Amino acid sequence: MSDHLVEARNLTLRYGAKVAVDDISFHIPKGRVVGLLGHNGAGKTTLMKALVGLLRQRGGSLQVMGLQPQAQRVQLLQSVCYIPDVAILPRWARVGELISLMSGLHPRFSAERARALLRRTSVDLNARVKTLSKGMVVQAHLALVAAIDAKLMILDEPTLGLDVLSRKAFYEMLIDEWCDGERSVLISTHQVEEIESLLSDVMMLNEGRLALAISLEDIDKRFVALGHDPAVAEEMAAAHPLLRYRVQGGSAALFDGEPPPSVAALGRRLRPSLVDLFVALTRAPEAHRTQF
Amino acid sequence: MQTWDPQLPIYQQLADLLAARLLDGEPAEGEPMPSVRTLAGHYLLNPLTVNRALQALGDEGLVETRRGLGHYVRSGARARLREAERTRFLDIEWPRLRQRLARLGLTAADLDWEDR
Repeated sequence: MSDHLVEARNLTLRYGAKVAVDDISFHIPKGRVVGLLGHNGAGKTTLMKALVGLLRQRGGSLQVMGLQPQAQRVQLLQSVCYIPDVAILPRWARVGELISLMSGLHPRFSAERARALLRRTSVDLNARVKTLSKGMVVQAHLALVAAIDAKLMILDEPTLGLDVLSRKAFYEMLIDEWCDGERSVLISTHQVEEIESLLSDVMMLNEGRLALAISLEDIDKRFVALGHDPAVAEEMAAAHPLLRYRVQGGSAALFDGEPPPSVAALGRRLRPSLVDLFVALTRAPEAHRTQF
Repeated sequence: MQTWDPQLPIYQQLADLLAARLLDGEPAEGEPMPSVRTLAGHYLLNPLTVNRALQALGDEGLVETRRGLGHYVRSGARARLREAERTRFLDIEWPRLRQRLARLGLTAADLDWEDR
């Protein structure tokens, strides 16, 4: 068994009749915060479901914690926790009751830890779920899930529909209470800019294919963004950058690898942002559709 | 949320932020730095980035690692920081400022030296 928490080789998954994840290979080591980016329909949710054994794989191999997710699901869920994109907590339940429920259901759940995590929030143990704000429900959910002594957390668009303060509180709790250098977390989100600094690695899915799987550190080594004066735009374009975009105070060009010497001196180096890379390496489904 | 300058590595910017606080005596010499997780949570940064920032402060002789306990502000850290900042001001900022003053025709007499 490898040291990696997740190991996928040539993994293929279907969503209905459609191939949703197409022959992808990647791994997730210990102690990482991995962002899973992709447009709607790119295969993010399908991949996450497969990681927790909710989908049958149609090709390749997948190991999570050294286990086969679908065949060994019960064992797997001892060490993997998951908040799906459609997560709901029962509206009628009190938060304290949910803690009792989880204690009965999950052998690795610590009620004491859940209560400690909830003390960070404004969620009252006696409150019923239906009286909580959307942000509080998500925080309560994270507290319940983070109280499981697991190695891998999978979060499918956890902050969708939350205001900025709730999102910040959510990520604060995640980083502060979950990430300990050993555990890893896989998060999908559309708020790329917001979580960029949180991530150690990123995976970009484009129509079921893995467009990029790289650590943030290696992004800085591999990709070069040059901020430049609009006056040299033509020279920049002639050097075939991956993407040209606007930045504050001018334009920028993004290169995979060192830009040609002819243009390197024409611009100043910028840290390539995840959003720009994402735009350069994936295409929106709408843009794709117009081609037919 | 904290915004980061796209021209500099984030760990370097965090190190600068922490150094600026050290200069203000926060935390004081001999006291522990906030933990990696606290800083990561507060600035919403990956713990690896925070570690690199603390390591950078260590390389500059401002903090020391105590095994199993975390990072502590070294004695003399403030004096060292102050010295480095003074050198930076005199070598880099002051010549620029002097140039600008000259261009604007301002002399020492035109400037307000009172501390309000």
